[in-house]
Amino acid sequence: MEEQRIGVYVCQCGTNIAKVVNCEEVVRALSEQPGVVVAKTYKYMCSNPGQEMIIADIQEHGLDRIVVAACSPRMHEPTFRKAIQTAGLNPYFVEMANIREQCSWVHDDPQVATDKARALTFGALHRVAKHEPLERMSVEMCPDVLVIGGGVCGMTAALELADGGNHVYLVEREGTLGGNVARVDLTAPYLDSARDLITALVTRVEEHKRIDVLVHSQVSSLEGFVGNFTATVETIWGDGASVSQFRVGNVVVATGYKEFDASRVVHYGYGKLPNVITSFEFEKMLRAGRIQTKEGKIPQYVAIIHCVGSRSKEFHTYCSRVCCMTALKYAHEVKSAIPNCYVSDVYIDMHAFGKGHEDFYKRGSEAKTLFLMYAKNDHPVIRKAGPGDDCEMLIEVNEKLSGEQIEIPADLVILMVGMEAREDSDAVARLVNISRDKDGWFIESHPKLDPVATTTDGIYIAGVCAAPKDIPDTVAQARAAAGRILAKTIRGSIEIDAVFAEIDEDKCSGCRVCNALCPYSAITYDASKKKSTVISAVCKACGACVAACPSGAIKARHFTDSQIFAQIEGVLT
Amino acid sequence: MSYEPKIVGFLCNWCSYTGADLAGTSRVHYAPNIRIIRVMCSARIDPTFVLKALREGADGVLICGCHPGDCHYSEGNYKMMRRYPLLKKMLTDFGIEPARVRLEWVSASEGQRFAEVVNDMTQRVRELGPSPIQQTLAQDMAER
Ligand SMILES: Cc1cc2nc3c(=O)[nH]c(=O)nc-3n(C[C@H](O)[C@H](O)[C@H](O)COP(=O)(O)OP(=O)(O)OC[C@H]3O[C@@H](n4cnc5c(N)ncnc54)[C@H](O)[C@@H]3O)c2cc1C
Ligand code: SF4
Ligand code: SF4
Ligand code: FES
Repeated sequence: MEEQRIGVYVCQCGTNIAKVVNCEEVVRALSEQPGVVVAKTYKYMCSNPGQEMIIADIQEHGLDRIVVAACSPRMHEPTFRKAIQTAGLNPYFVEMANIREQCSWVHDDPQVATDKARALTFGALHRVAKHEPLERMSVEMCPDVLVIGGGVCGMTAALELADGGNHVYLVEREGTLGGNVARVDLTAPYLDSARDLITALVTRVEEHKRIDVLVHSQVSSLEGFVGNFTATVETIWGDGASVSQFRVGNVVVATGYKEFDASRVVHYGYGKLPNVITSFEFEKMLRAGRIQTKEGKIPQYVAIIHCVGSRSKEFHTYCSRVCCMTALKYAHEVKSAIPNCYVSDVYIDMHAFGKGHEDFYKRGSEAKTLFLMYAKNDHPVIRKAGPGDDCEMLIEVNEKLSGEQIEIPADLVILMVGMEAREDSDAVARLVNISRDKDGWFIESHPKLDPVATTTDGIYIAGVCAAPKDIPDTVAQARAAAGRILAKTIRGSIEIDAVFAEIDEDKCSGCRVCNALCPYSAITYDASKKKSTVISAVCKACGACVAACPSGAIKARHFTDSQIFAQIEGVLT
Repeated sequence: MSYEPKIVGFLCNWCSYTGADLAGTSRVHYAPNIRIIRVMCSARIDPTFVLKALREGADGVLICGCHPGDCHYSEGNYKMMRRYPLLKKMLTDFGIEPARVRLEWVSASEGQRFAEVVNDMTQRVRELGPSPIQQTLAQDMAER
C-alpha cells in the first residue's frame, strides 16, 4: 500500500478549546506520528481562512487524509467534507476528533484535558487511515409534502409550499382547521382579530388546488426516507374510517401545543372557585362579546395572574412567551368594555421582548392597571371573600417590590395558563423519527444554525411544537420550513449519504439471519443464488445486521470493523 | 499518583452522542477518563468491539444508546439489550469482571445524566482497579 499523507488540524475555537487544551502540545504529539505530513493549530478551523488553509495544504503537500480536532462532528463534519472535496479529495477522507464538547467544555485541568484531546485525535488519526472513498447516491426527490397539524403554522407552511408549486397533504386531527389561534379573540400586540386571520388562512387553504385537506385525520405510519416517504393516513368519518396512502418527499410537523391544566396549581382554586377561569375561557367570553361572572354579573374587580404552570420548579421551568402580552391585552380589553373596572395584574417579571411589545406594555401601564410583582415559587393565594366584602374573592400576594403582603379584591380571576407539549408528542416523535427535549418539545438539528430541520433528513419542525412562541415567530418558522423544502425539491433529486451496509456475496452463507433483523426490510434474499443483498437506498445504516451476521459478511460503510478497531487503538495509545 | 482507569465509551449517534454533546454545550463537567467512539446505533456494537477495547488497555467499557422505544432505528437498542447478557457471560469466561462493562440509556436531552453516568462508571471501575486482562494476556504470551 502506498504511504498515506495525512494532515492534522487542531482548532482553538477562539478560546473555547485553547483556554483548557494546549493545542500546540497536541500538534507536537501528532506531528511525530507516522504518516502525518502536516500538523497545525489555528484560531477558527471552520472559518473561510481555516478551510482555505486546509485546501492549500492538500494541494501543496499532496495530502490524502485529513484529521480535524475541533467541535462535534454533528456540527461541522459537512463543512470539512465539502472543503476537502473542493481540494479534490473524496469527502469521506476526513475524520473529526471532538475536543470541544467532549473535552475543553467538560474538563478543567489543562494537563488532563490536553492528554485526552491528544488521545481523541490519535483515535481520529488511526481511523482516517482506514477510510475508504465512497460515492454519494443521487435519488429522485418527490416534490409532494405532508404537513401534520392545521394550525396557523401548518396552514402557513402548506400555502407557501403550494404557492411554490408543490402538492401538499395537510392532515388535521380535529374537524376544523385553525388550531389554538381559532380560540383567541384579538391578538397581541396590535389587537387585530384572530378570527379574521384564521378565516383568511382557512379560505385560501381550502380553495388552493394544490392542497388536499384531510380533517378528522391522523398519520398512522411514515415509511421510507427523504425524497421518498410513504405516509398512511387514517380518517374517521361520522360512522366509519378510511385509510389513504400517498408518497411525499418531505414532512413538516406543526402539531402545536395544549394549555397547562390550571387545576394542578391547588392554591388558585381552579375548578372549585367558579370565577377563577383560564385565559382560553376568557378568550371565549371575549369572542362572545360579554365579560361577566358565572352569576351573570359585570365584574367590578378583575385580576390577572401570570405564569400559571410556567417558570416554576414544580411544573414547567420554561417561559411560555405569549402570556405576558396576552395579559396586557386582557387588561386593555377589560378596560375598554368596562371602563370603571379595577384591573390588577399579578406577575413574576414582565417579559416584553418582541417587536412592538414594550410599547404595548407602556400603553397598558398607562391604562390604570395595578401591577403587582410576586416572587418565583411564592405564588399568590386565592380564597373566597367573606359576606362583609364587596367582592367575590381575595388574593393574597407577597408583593416583591414593596416587600409587603397585599390583599386585592377580585370578582373574576384570569389564570394565564402556559403552553405544554401535547400528550401524544412522543408518539408523533416516534412516527417521524425525531427526538424530544426534557419538556417534550421536538428537538431541532441545531438551535441556532439549523432551527427548523431535525436530525432526520426530510423531517422539519415549526411553530409551537418545537417550543412556545407567538404567531409572528410561528409564521416565520412555517415559512422557513417551507423554504427549505422548496429549495431542496426544486433540483428534482438529492444526494444521499454514501453510508449504508453492504453484503459480500462470497462470504454470505445464505443463513438469512439479517433479513428479519433489518428494521426497514432493506435486505432481500435471492433464492436462486442463496445470497442476501442490501438495497442501499432503503438501508439507513444502523449496523444491526452487521453486528449480527454470523459469517461477518456485512460491511457497514464508513463504520467498518477495521475503522472502529483502529479508533479504539488510537484512543488508547 | 492514584490509579486512573481508562474507559472507552461506545455511543449511538442519535441519542447518546447528542446527549454527550449537550453535556458539553451546557458545560456540565465530568470525569475525564472516558474516550468516546461514535456508532450509528447501539445495535452496531459488536461484542468484539468491547473485547478489543479491553485488550487494548481499557479498564472499562460504557455502552450508551437511546432509551427503550426511542431508538432512531426503532428497535436497535433492544438488539443490543439482548446481546448484553451474552457479552457479560463472555467476559466472565475470559476472567474479566462483568461490572467493567455497562449498558446505559441516555437521551439527546440528558446531558446532565450522561455526566452522572460517566462519573459513576469511572468511580466503580476505579474501585475495581486495573483490568486483569493485561496480566492474562502477558501470561498467554509467556506460555506460548
Ligand atoms: C391564551 C393564549 C393567547 C394567545 N394569544 C396570542 C396573541 O395574542 N398573539 C400571538 O402572537 N400569539 C398568541 N398566542 C400563541 C398562539 O396560540 C400560538 O403562537 C399558535 O397557536 C401556534 O400555532 P401552531 O400552529 O404552532 O400550533 P396550534 O395552534 O396548537 O395548532 C396545531 C394544530 O395541529 C393539530 N394537531 C396536533 N397534533 C396532531 C396530530 N398528531 N395529527 C394531526 N393534527 C394534529 C391540532 O389539532 C392543531 O389544529 C396565544 C396563546 C395562548 C395560550
Ligand atoms: S446474516 Fe450474513 S451470512 Fe446470513 S444471509 Fe445475512 S449476510 Fe448472508
Ligand atoms: S444496516 Fe440496518 S438498515 Fe441497513 S440493512 Fe443492515 S439492518 Fe437494515
Ligand atoms: S439509534 Fe440510539 S440506540 Fe439505536
